Amino acid sequence: MEKYDVAIIGGGSAGLAALKQLSNLRKQAILVEAGNKIGSKNVSGGILYSKKSKKGHVHNVEDVYGDVFLREAPLERKITKYILHSTSKDKVYSIDLTAAHDYESNFGYSVLMNKLNAWFADQAAESAQKFGGGIISGVHVSEIKFDEQRNTSIVKTDELEEFEVKAIIAADGVNSEIAQISDARKKFLPSQLYQGVKVVVKIPEDVINERFSLKSREGVAHLFAGDVSLNHIGGGFVYTNLDTLSVGAVYHFDSLLENPVEPYTLVDAMLKNPMICEFIKDDVPSRRKIDKNLPQEEQLRIRFAITKLIKSWNELRESYFSKGKRDERVKSGKYQSVEEIKEKLDSIREQLTQKYGVIFVTDYVEAEYSAKLIPDGKRCRMSKPYHRNILFVGDAAGRGIFVGPRIEGINVGIDDAVRAANSISRAIDKNNFSSDYLGEYYSSSVEESPYTKDMKQIDKDYLKIFLDASKDVPKDIISARYSTVLKLMSSDTIRSVAIKFANILGYERLLPMVESEDTYVKVPIEIAERLGKTVSKTYEPTIPSIAERIAKLKFNDDSNPHIKVLKPQSEFMKKLVTLCPTKCYSLENDNVILQHEGCIECGTCSQETDWKHTRGEKGIVYQYG
Amino acid sequence: MTEGNYQHLYVIMEVEDGKLVPVSLEMLGEARRLVDSFNRKYNLDEKVVAVLLGYELNDISQTLIEHGADFVVYAEHPELMVYRNNIYTKVIGQIAQDKNIAKIISSEDSNFKKPRYMFFGADNIGRHLSSTVLVELESGLASDINKLEINDIKLTHQHKTDGKEVTYEKTLEMYRPDFSGFLWTTILCLDNKNHSIEREYHPQSCSIIPGVFEPIEPDKKRKGQVIEYTTKIDQNDLKVKVLNRQVIKSEVDFDRYRAVVSFGRGIKDAPEENIRLIEELAKSLNAEIGVSLPISKKPFSINQNLSAKYMILERVIGTSGRKISPMLYVAIGISGAMQHVAGMKDSEFVVAVNPDENSPIKDECDIFIKGRMEDVIPKLVEEIKKQSFVIQA
Amino acid sequence: MSELNVAVIIKLEPDFSEGSVSYNPDGTLNRAETKNTLGPHSTIAAHAAFYAKVMYNARISIGTMGPPIAESALQMAQRLSDAEELHLYSDRIFAGADTLATAEVLKTGIEKMQGKMDIVFSGHRASDGETGQTGPQTAWKLGFTFLGNVIDYKIDIQNRTITAKRLVRLQGFSDVVEEIEAPLPVFISIDPSYKPLFNTISQRLAFGKFQKEAKIRAENYKQYLKVFNVQQLGVDPKYVGLPGSPTIVYKVERIPRGKATRQAEVLDGSNPEHIRKAVSKMKEALAAMVIK
Repeated sequence: MEKYDVAIIGGGSAGLAALKQLSNLRKQAILVEAGNKIGSKNVSGGILYSKKSKKGHVHNVEDVYGDVFLREAPLERKITKYILHSTSKDKVYSIDLTAAHDYESNFGYSVLMNKLNAWFADQAAESAQKFGGGIISGVHVSEIKFDEQRNTSIVKTDELEEFEVKAIIAADGVNSEIAQISDARKKFLPSQLYQGVKVVVKIPEDVINERFSLKSREGVAHLFAGDVSLNHIGGGFVYTNLDTLSVGAVYHFDSLLENPVEPYTLVDAMLKNPMICEFIKDDVPSRRKIDKNLPQEEQLRIRFAITKLIKSWNELRESYFSKGKRDERVKSGKYQSVEEIKEKLDSIREQLTQKYGVIFVTDYVEAEYSAKLIPDGKRCRMSKPYHRNILFVGDAAGRGIFVGPRIEGINVGIDDAVRAANSISRAIDKNNFSSDYLGEYYSSSVEESPYTKDMKQIDKDYLKIFLDASKDVPKDIISARYSTVLKLMSSDTIRSVAIKFANILGYERLLPMVESEDTYVKVPIEIAERLGKTVSKTYEPTIPSIAERIAKLKFNDDSNPHIKVLKPQSEFMKKLVTLCPTKCYSLENDNVILQHEGCIECGTCSQETDWKHTRGEKGIVYQYG
Repeated sequence: MTEGNYQHLYVIMEVEDGKLVPVSLEMLGEARRLVDSFNRKYNLDEKVVAVLLGYELNDISQTLIEHGADFVVYAEHPELMVYRNNIYTKVIGQIAQDKNIAKIISSEDSNFKKPRYMFFGADNIGRHLSSTVLVELESGLASDINKLEINDIKLTHQHKTDGKEVTYEKTLEMYRPDFSGFLWTTILCLDNKNHSIEREYHPQSCSIIPGVFEPIEPDKKRKGQVIEYTTKIDQNDLKVKVLNRQVIKSEVDFDRYRAVVSFGRGIKDAPEENIRLIEELAKSLNAEIGVSLPISKKPFSINQNLSAKYMILERVIGTSGRKISPMLYVAIGISGAMQHVAGMKDSEFVVAVNPDENSPIKDECDIFIKGRMEDVIPKLVEEIKKQSFVIQA
Repeated sequence: MSELNVAVIIKLEPDFSEGSVSYNPDGTLNRAETKNTLGPHSTIAAHAAFYAKVMYNARISIGTMGPPIAESALQMAQRLSDAEELHLYSDRIFAGADTLATAEVLKTGIEKMQGKMDIVFSGHRASDGETGQTGPQTAWKLGFTFLGNVIDYKIDIQNRTITAKRLVRLQGFSDVVEEIEAPLPVFISIDPSYKPLFNTISQRLAFGKFQKEAKIRAENYKQYLKVFNVQQLGVDPKYVGLPGSPTIVYKVERIPRGKATRQAEVLDGSNPEHIRKAVSKMKEALAAMVIK
């Protein structure tokens, strides 16, 4: 049997950071990822933060990867504006929350996980190779056996011969199978989770700059609360990427169970909001139906010709509206000048309209639909995130930050990963992998993390930023609901005492007061109606159906179903018919049946199913993430 | 060309597990038709020669004669029991150039060098075998043919005829459907009559797509002669050792059937009963049974036997399963999802049975029978029996 | 010196995917407008060679016959196989070759590759017309043992033998997997269903390492590239290109089609007359099946 020092299970940003950090410490580690390549199963909102906490030291992404991170990593845009919108129909009231975004922050970049994790993987693999380790993708871990005598673990997978390791870092996400196999924790409950759904919308780079008044490579985060939530606890977001927008919605799972709505309907509610409509619009070629009376091969020829022209038009347009890319085209000698690109672009367009009757309309283009569960660290973080020689990090340990609009996961996972790597490195040096020396050490290191504090306590300074930002909101809207709280918050001294008291009470007891329908729905709607500006839309977006969205996704279909329905008649499963983001369930004769191959492995149904990730290389293959 | 150098049509038989591969008889049928009209047209008496390699295949020679072979050249040897490219190529090469065989076939002395024409099956054996044999015989080969004619062809060609008009007599026109499926490319194998590169290219040969041509009605009274060929085996040609042969799929074989009956989630009201009905329909049409992808995910709990037999990926027709093109495709309770349509759209004739006239399958079929399968299938089966289909496997 | 020399023969082919392919109004492929790519079966052959790289540290050479732009296919195949030698056989004289004449060029090219080849891989077929003859014909000309439809193989370096699994699919028969053993050298035409399996961590790590090496090499592919014209290759011009081709394409025509689109006739399942009609149409469909 082959032997290695450390196995990291899961190639998301936390697992990759662990591998990189272990290599930085000159330790041998192999990372095993189920997706056919790194990043293909990762989804995020997403913004990646680097923090400078007053509460202690956090390990940031740039500490792990070095200066090269800011120079070369495929980051989308540096977020410089952060705005919260309250919505009600066509009314929007906006509050600038940039100060909250900047709080304790070095930077925040919008990111797309597919690209970013691929870059992390390149970096980590190169380092790991020097110490006899590396990254292995397309491998799904199915079993871990602890060898009491040797104090090691035997890792079994669906694809490879089993191998032996001294320690394991479980970075396999919110639906961690390692946690289940090892019995380290129970599955997270709906009350501990949020469900996020996102679409990536394509828009050329320069158009984004102009529309959002951004300098090159600068970005903005727009947050939404109010009627877009269709009465759920949570909210929506629009983040600018380099040449795409991430439009998404994140809602508390409990509130979805209480009032089940299809996840895509929640994203659609965002897309239909007039302000967002105007954010996402673009010039879109619209095909005319091909004459069915033509011979079949002629129909096919025309279809192929149109597809090819539209593809060329899109590619060229993307370059034309991007300084970097158009310069590159000219430099490569393919075009003499920028004007020539424009001419070619116009000529393709003319060909499409004249020859093939394609018309160009104002609409939007969706590139990818995705979904994921997000653990609310306040409610579900593992109190001791280890089991024997297995250390849990990031989502797998239930460690995500949810404080009002502040949702952070990637940076938390990276911080955990560094702590786990450091703990294992120390254990290797002393060849001591006992719970006392490894697990407990890691557990206390995580406990010291400022992120853990953010999951336990209210930060009075952060709260003040909110109060300041919302000072223009008429008091009566808020006071009807939160008068006591408001009084306590009215001056710095009282607030300080009140928060101290609140923190003794603990988040768990205070949550229902704050994370309520009032906060996320009613108050924003009232604010929008009373104070909001009217935004009107100039077109009606053609929103794809869920079937069209699934058809666009790439799957490597697995003939072995990875999910088994355990309670086909339970209330929960019946709600799943609505709550599965890709409509994998249907109700037939009072039985819930798993019927679709479009599973995107979000885990929404894992509560009452026998749920596993797909085997190696199988299942969803995201292009953006 | 000296008349007599190149004569007869040699057809290479394929045998698996002691039985003829169907394409062998299909090729013989087409060979018979072609040679008969050839002999009439040119007033000649050339023969259809079946070339059979193997071991203990005595009964097969008679079958070949009944199916149109004038002669069967049978090379029997234990080393020829299983196809191996090297030794098969050598033996066929020897047979094709054997003057003694030609003498028996032509019943006279001749200048025989090689066959005039040669056919192989366009399958896992024949494609490769034809390629190597034709290098051995230094002539041309057209692959994947589905139509054949013999004509005299007038041609002016820069290389072949040095730009002059030349008539190529008795030329085999070999039609190959191209990759798009829209076009037929006709391929000829021609001697170089240009002096600077003069060369003779015979046999004119091709590999023939299985399932295209019809075998002739077997005739027990047909006369033919078996020529036992004593094979010269060179140990150098036996380098490949077959260690093991394992059948990996026994249940489902769409290619063997001309009709396919498929079912989808429409069976849901009474899965077991409906599958029984579908089995009956498939039996009456001599059809293989297919399913849509969702069925393979076992959406209904039905008895183990039926589940293991039908709710499996091997039967799936569509992008995640098999692409098929039977003569008749019957879709029962299938809505017609894109993925499924991709697997069956090349079928010649499509019949759908579905209660919902708005389901997309309606746009993908030739006949749409509106109705519940429970009601429609028994009537179809009854009517099929009434109209007494005679369908070959 | 590597203990195993492996060659791959590949082909630049039209990219038939929607968005890349263009057709002329008469239904023929518009080659000028259609993008080219490494053929899908060539891709599989390159994967099979890479397996030898990872498992046996083989030295890989790639050869193709084609116009100058075919070097892009060599680059793509190098990216997949980590090849150290790229051969392009390119000459106007080679144009229009049928498979026999192509095999003559490839055979001569393979014999000019560095080291004596132990295995040559080719794809199952090309997607733009050639139906799989080139591989076996090249093999026969080289005098190599030909193994078709290979789905798996292992090499015994010491004894210079190969064991391989071949997938035999025959009309009317169940598929058979045949396990064979043969001494090197061999010529393998790889089955479309081939998928290399690396099932230990160390093999996977080696895979990653060579993949990275391949990427770097492919970025600098020109330094591995040798181009041969007819003289440099040293083939007899009479045996290559059109002069060396026994077959010619005589004509191209449209295949006559019965129907252009499906226009469903809707019948009522409860009407016996309709059922009768449906069944007689089905019967007709099954009767019309054979080209007599």
